Amino acid sequence: MELIPKLINNSYYFAAMILFVIGFHTMLTHSNLIKKIIGMNIMDTSIFLFFVSIGYVRGGRAPIIQEGAGFLYVNPLPSALILTGIVVAVSVTAFALSLIVKLYAHYGTVDADEIALIRAREER
Amino acid sequence: MYLHVPVLIVVLLLAASYTVPLLDRFRRSLALPITILSLITAFISSLYLLYLIGVRGPFAYHLGGWPPPWGIELYIDYLAVYMLIVISSIGLLIMIYGAKDLLHEISREVLSWYYTLYLLLMASMMGIALTNDLFNLFVFVEISAIASCGIISAKADRRCIEASIKYLILSALGSGCILLAVAMIYMITGNLNFDYVAAALPDALKLYPYNIVIALGLFVVGFGVKSALFPLHVWLPDAHSSAPSPSSAILSGLVIKIYAVALVKLLFRVFPAQIYDVIPILDIILFLSVFAVMAGSIFAMVQDDLKRMLAYSSIAQIGYIFMGIGLFGGRALTGGLLHIFNHAMMKSMLFLAAGLIIYATGIRNLKDLKGIGVRMPWTMGAFTIGALSMVGIPGTSGFISKWFLALGALDLNRPFYVAIILLSSLLNGIYYFPIIIDAFFGTKMNPVSEFRDVPALMLIPVLILAAGVIFFGFYPKPLLDLVSKAISF
Repeated sequence: MELIPKLINNSYYFAAMILFVIGFHTMLTHSNLIKKIIGMNIMDTSIFLFFVSIGYVRGGRAPIIQEGAGFLYVNPLPSALILTGIVVAVSVTAFALSLIVKLYAHYGTVDADEIALIRAREER
Repeated sequence: MYLHVPVLIVVLLLAASYTVPLLDRFRRSLALPITILSLITAFISSLYLLYLIGVRGPFAYHLGGWPPPWGIELYIDYLAVYMLIVISSIGLLIMIYGAKDLLHEISREVLSWYYTLYLLLMASMMGIALTNDLFNLFVFVEISAIASCGIISAKADRRCIEASIKYLILSALGSGCILLAVAMIYMITGNLNFDYVAAALPDALKLYPYNIVIALGLFVVGFGVKSALFPLHVWLPDAHSSAPSPSSAILSGLVIKIYAVALVKLLFRVFPAQIYDVIPILDIILFLSVFAVMAGSIFAMVQDDLKRMLAYSSIAQIGYIFMGIGLFGGRALTGGLLHIFNHAMMKSMLFLAAGLIIYATGIRNLKDLKGIGVRMPWTMGAFTIGALSMVGIPGTSGFISKWFLALGALDLNRPFYVAIILLSSLLNGIYYFPIIIDAFFGTKMNPVSEFRDVPALMLIPVLILAAGVIFFGFYPKPLLDLVSKAISF
């Protein structure tokens, strides 16, 4: 029964992992392409949360150094990295959505299974 | 000044990629020459780097003068330079071919954007080869993921768009895994630089073994998806077969391998050797590679589309590279890494030759290719050399890498893998030889309504690659020297 206190102590990590699995599962199992992209964003966001929570120090403040104040600061590096990560995730999302728009223009649906059906019918 | 060359290669290609669309607006005729020129410069710089590390040994470059652990570090060793030469030489030849081929495959409006994506892809692959920083690695991996999806969907055909989105989603899944793995590593070591992480991991392994095992698993899955390791290959056949021919050539020839190289760097330079006692990751990779080698060939046999068959053959060939990684004996790894260059030559040549056939006749179906060798002797001649090299006939470069893989397997007392290599070579023969026999000795070709003459500019890169396959088949020494230095981690 030492698992539960451990989980409570690491609740940020635990929440991030649950979100990661939700996103991963959505991405792989849903046939609706928009839902896949939503899943991708949930997954990416969970990693960002995880990364940022690594750098968090309880009671720490933003790392703007004041001489002699002796405050506790949070680690700024993960936040800086995640800024890049967010930019990447946004551009991937934009690209994916634009491809889906084009796909919708061709097939009239955003469901991967239906698209496969339409193609199979055409090839026959 | 000359020490800035490694970063300048990447920066030059990035700068060129942003200049090309501007030129398209004001001086359209300059877009292509600038692209080719920057690729040539990158190739020459790569050769210069080879000379440089021959003189002064592997060296590190600190971006912006910030030393690690604060700054990003590039590490220029033999593995990085080997990959730079592979990428820049093959990439240059493909672009020379593409100069003419792309005119009829994609519309004029997006042509310069295609050059942009191509240069971005080249820059990011070179970045992956050079970087010594985990987060920088992730950024380059993402750039190359978007750029490679872009050069598939540049052809505004609905099959390309469908293949592209499939690739993008699975690729994003892989990137997510890689980023989470980076987070896991950063969490326990507090560093992103490969050398610092490698120094911290042996101690961390005792305290937090699960984190490291999870990170390792996520890296293998992430890079496995991107390099189409067998059960994670589902996106590859669609993506590589529907794309424009130059895109197919660069995706099959270079892009899937650079991720394998990234995995090699991580497995052997970052993770401590003790991790293999905790989890037999190399055996898992070996196990999957055996399936890849067999299944790729078996799937390729039942295809009737030429480019689709070549795409499935790529899945089998990437299996050899992973087999070299999984065996991890001196000569087996040499064979695996050698196969990166050899397969890059063969497969890009085969895809370009397929592109030439499609350009000239519009035929994609294997059954309609009867007698094509009489009409297109040079193209099919090159195709034949590529096919023989795929099977591993002595005198072609494909033989050398398979020979070293087999020798390496024997060194490690694992003759089972020699049998696998032999069997898979036979399987390769089963689907390549009928094409060649049909092409040259088949009955008269069906009358094709339109038969276009192939421009010399498109034929020359194919012939250079064919000559390369023969040359390195008879004289592999310079490559072997380079690769044997590259695997001394």
